Amino acid sequence: MINRRHFLTTVAIGTASAAALSACGNGSSSSGQTGSADKPVTINYTWWGNDDRAERTRKAIALFESKNPDIKVNGNFTDFAGYWQKRATEAAGGGLPDVMQWDLSYLRDYGQRNQLLDLGTVKINTDAFEKSLLPSGQIKGKQYGIPTSTNAFAVYYDPAKLSSLGIAEPTGKWTYKEFNEFLTQVGAKSNGALYGGTDYTGVWWMFNIWLRQNKIQAFTSEGKLGFSKDDLKKWWNLTANLRGTGTIIPEDRVTQLAPKSPFGSNATATEVTWDNFMAGYLGDSGAKELKLVPVPSDDPDNLGLFLKPSMLMVASAKTKFKDAAARFIDFMVNDPEVGQIFKTSRGVPASKTQRDGTTFEGTDKLVVDYEKSIEKYLKDAPEPPIVGFGTLEASFKRIASDLNYGKLTIDGAADAWFKEAEDLIKQNA
Amino acid sequence: MTQSPTLSRRSASSTPPLPRKSRQRGTDARAGYTFLLPWLLGFIALTVGPMISSLYLSFTNYNLFEPPKWIGLDNYTTLFQDERFLQSVGVTVGYVVFGTPLKLAAALAVAMLLNSKRRGQGFYRSAFYAPSLIGASVSIAIVWKAMFGDSGPVDQGLSFFGINLGGWVGNPAMTMPMFILLTVWQFGAPMVIFLAGLKQIPGELYEAASMDGAGPVRKFFNITWPMLSPVIFFNLLMETIHAFQIFASAYIISNGEGGPAGSTLFYTLYLYLRGFSDFRMGYASAMAWLLVIVVGIITLIFFRTSKSWVHYSGDSR
Repeated sequence: MINRRHFLTTVAIGTASAAALSACGNGSSSSGQTGSADKPVTINYTWWGNDDRAERTRKAIALFESKNPDIKVNGNFTDFAGYWQKRATEAAGGGLPDVMQWDLSYLRDYGQRNQLLDLGTVKINTDAFEKSLLPSGQIKGKQYGIPTSTNAFAVYYDPAKLSSLGIAEPTGKWTYKEFNEFLTQVGAKSNGALYGGTDYTGVWWMFNIWLRQNKIQAFTSEGKLGFSKDDLKKWWNLTANLRGTGTIIPEDRVTQLAPKSPFGSNATATEVTWDNFMAGYLGDSGAKELKLVPVPSDDPDNLGLFLKPSMLMVASAKTKFKDAAARFIDFMVNDPEVGQIFKTSRGVPASKTQRDGTTFEGTDKLVVDYEKSIEKYLKDAPEPPIVGFGTLEASFKRIASDLNYGKLTIDGAADAWFKEAEDLIKQNA
Repeated sequence: MTQSPTLSRRSASSTPPLPRKSRQRGTDARAGYTFLLPWLLGFIALTVGPMISSLYLSFTNYNLFEPPKWIGLDNYTTLFQDERFLQSVGVTVGYVVFGTPLKLAAALAVAMLLNSKRRGQGFYRSAFYAPSLIGASVSIAIVWKAMFGDSGPVDQGLSFFGINLGGWVGNPAMTMPMFILLTVWQFGAPMVIFLAGLKQIPGELYEAASMDGAGPVRKFFNITWPMLSPVIFFNLLMETIHAFQIFASAYIISNGEGGPAGSTLFYTLYLYLRGFSDFRMGYASAMAWLLVIVVGIITLIFFRTSKSWVHYSGDSR
C-alpha cells in the first residue's frame, strides 16, 4: 500500500522537476564554426527554402567551387520560420554563418545591431544593378545586403475561372471601387462557389502601396511610423462592406486552408501578393494558366508600385573570410549561369548581367513580362523597414484577421495595432 | 538518500564502538553521490543554470543581440497591461480547468473497467495506453488538425447526425473543445497509475461491503475513492502542471500563431512567440517565472487542501 512519506517525496520531486522544465525554453544550440586556415578555406552558407531551392543552390555551389578551387562552401538550409529562430540563437552566441540568404524584414534587426558585414568594404561588383534598388540593402549609407532578385506586387487571377463565370478579364487599370466591384461580381455570379478574393486590407505590403499612392511614407527615417491612426482606419474601411459577404472569403475558411493560400486552394478567383509566388500557386492550384495585373489605385499615374529585393545576400560581421565571402556573393548575384540555375524561383534576377544571361520561358516569362510592363510606374524601393518589422507585419495580419472574425471593430483594430507598434518602437529605441 | 550522511554522523558520535559500520555508511554515501554525479551535473548545467540566468533576464530588456539592460520589474508590470498576455492566461486557465478533470474522469472510468478480470485485458490496457505515448507528438497534432478540419472525418460524422458545425480548426468557438478532446484522449498515463492504485485496494473491503449490502455506487464513494485518494491526488497534481505546459499541439494546429482570433494562444505559445519571434527574451523570461510561481502556488494549495480529502494508509489521524 501507499506509504505517506515515500509518496510525498515522489510527488515533491516530480513537481519540482516539472515546474523547472517549464522555465527553460528550447534554446537549441547550433554550430557556428568558421573554416580552417588551411587552403582551401571553407565558408558556411545558409538559406531558407524548399527542396527545389536546395537542389538549385547545391548546383550553384558546385559551379562556384569548380571555378574557385581555393574556396569550399558548406551549405545548410531550413524553412523560413525556423530560419530566423536559428539565426537569432547563432547571433546571440556570436556564430552567424559567413554568408547568408536574407530577408528585407530582418535587415535592420541585424544590420543596425552590428551583426552584418558592410559589403561596401569588400569587392562586390554592383555596376549591373538598378540604382533605385541598392538603397533597399543599405542602412545609414552602409550596404549590408545585395539583392539577388526582385519581386513586385500584383493581382493574380485565374482566366479559366473568370471565363466560366462569364466575367471579362481585368485590365489592371482600376480604382479601389472598381476592384471591389469586380470581386463582388465573382462572388455573386458563382453563387458562393467561389469568393472574389481574400481581404486585401489584411496585407501589410498592400497597405504600404496604398500609402505610397497617397504620398504617405510608412516609416520615417528616424524609425517612427509615418502614417496616422486615421490613415489605417481609412484603409480598413475600404472593404468594410465586403467582410462577411460572398465577396471576401470568411476568415475561418482561410484558417482551415492554411498553410495553403485560398487562391492556391481554388477557393478564390484573385489574390493580391508578390509576383514570384507564381510557381507555387500553379503547383498548388493545378491551374493551367494564371495571369498578373497591376494593383488598383485611385490615381492612375501613381500605382505606388516598386521592386523589392525578394531576397538579399549578406555576410556575417564576424566572418574570418571576408574575401571568400565577397567572391561567393558576387558570384551568386552576378553570374549568368547562376541565373540559368534559379530562373525566377528567387524572383527576377536583380543584376542585369545575370538577367540578360538567363532564358525565361513559360511561367518564368510571365513574371519577367509583368515586371517589364509596370516599369514606368515603378518608384524607388522603400528603405529597409524598422527594427522589429517582422513582428509588426505579423500583428497587422493577425489584427486584420480578428477584424474579419468580427472580434474587433475598425476603431478597435487600429487602436490595437498602434498600441503594439508604439510599444515595439519604444522597446527597440 | 539525503539522510544517510546525517545518520552516519550521528552514529559515529553517539556510538563509538561501531566505527566500521559508520565508515561503511560513508562509503555508501560517497558511492551514491558518485553514481548521482552525471545527473547532478546535467541538472545544474542544463536546468538550474538556465533557470537562474532566466531569473536575471526577467528583470532586463534583452533582445539576444545586445547586452541585457536592467529594467527592474518593468517586464512584470507591463505583463498585466498586455491584452494578448491576459488572453493567453484566459485560454490556458480554461484548458486546465475543463481539460484536466475530464481527462482524469475518463482515466479513472477506464481504469475501473480494466481492473475487472476478463479475457484480453492486457490487450485493452496497451490499446488504451497507446494514445498517451504518441498524443503529444507532432504527427498526432497534424492528424488532429486534418480530422477536425473542413469536411474532415469529424465534420462529416457530425453532419451525418444532422449537426453542421463545419471545420473546428477555423472556428474560434470550437478550438478549445478540440484541444480538450485531444487531452482527454491521452488519458492513458493517469489510467495506468489509477490501475496500479486500484490493484492495491484489498478485495476484502469490497467483500465486506457486499456482505453489508452496499451497491456499486456506495462501494465507489466509500471504498474506492478514499483508498485511491493518494493516487487521485498525485494524478490531479501532475496533470494540472502538465496541462499548464501545453505547447507542441497548440503550435502545430495554429501554425505557431495562436489563432483563430487568439483562441489557441496558450501561455507557453505566447511565451515562445515573445521570445523567439519578437526577440523579447526578458519579457519571455518574466512570463516563464510567473508560470513557475503560479504553478508553485497551485501545488501548495493542492497540498494544503489535500489533508481534508486524501487518506494515507497507516495514518492514525
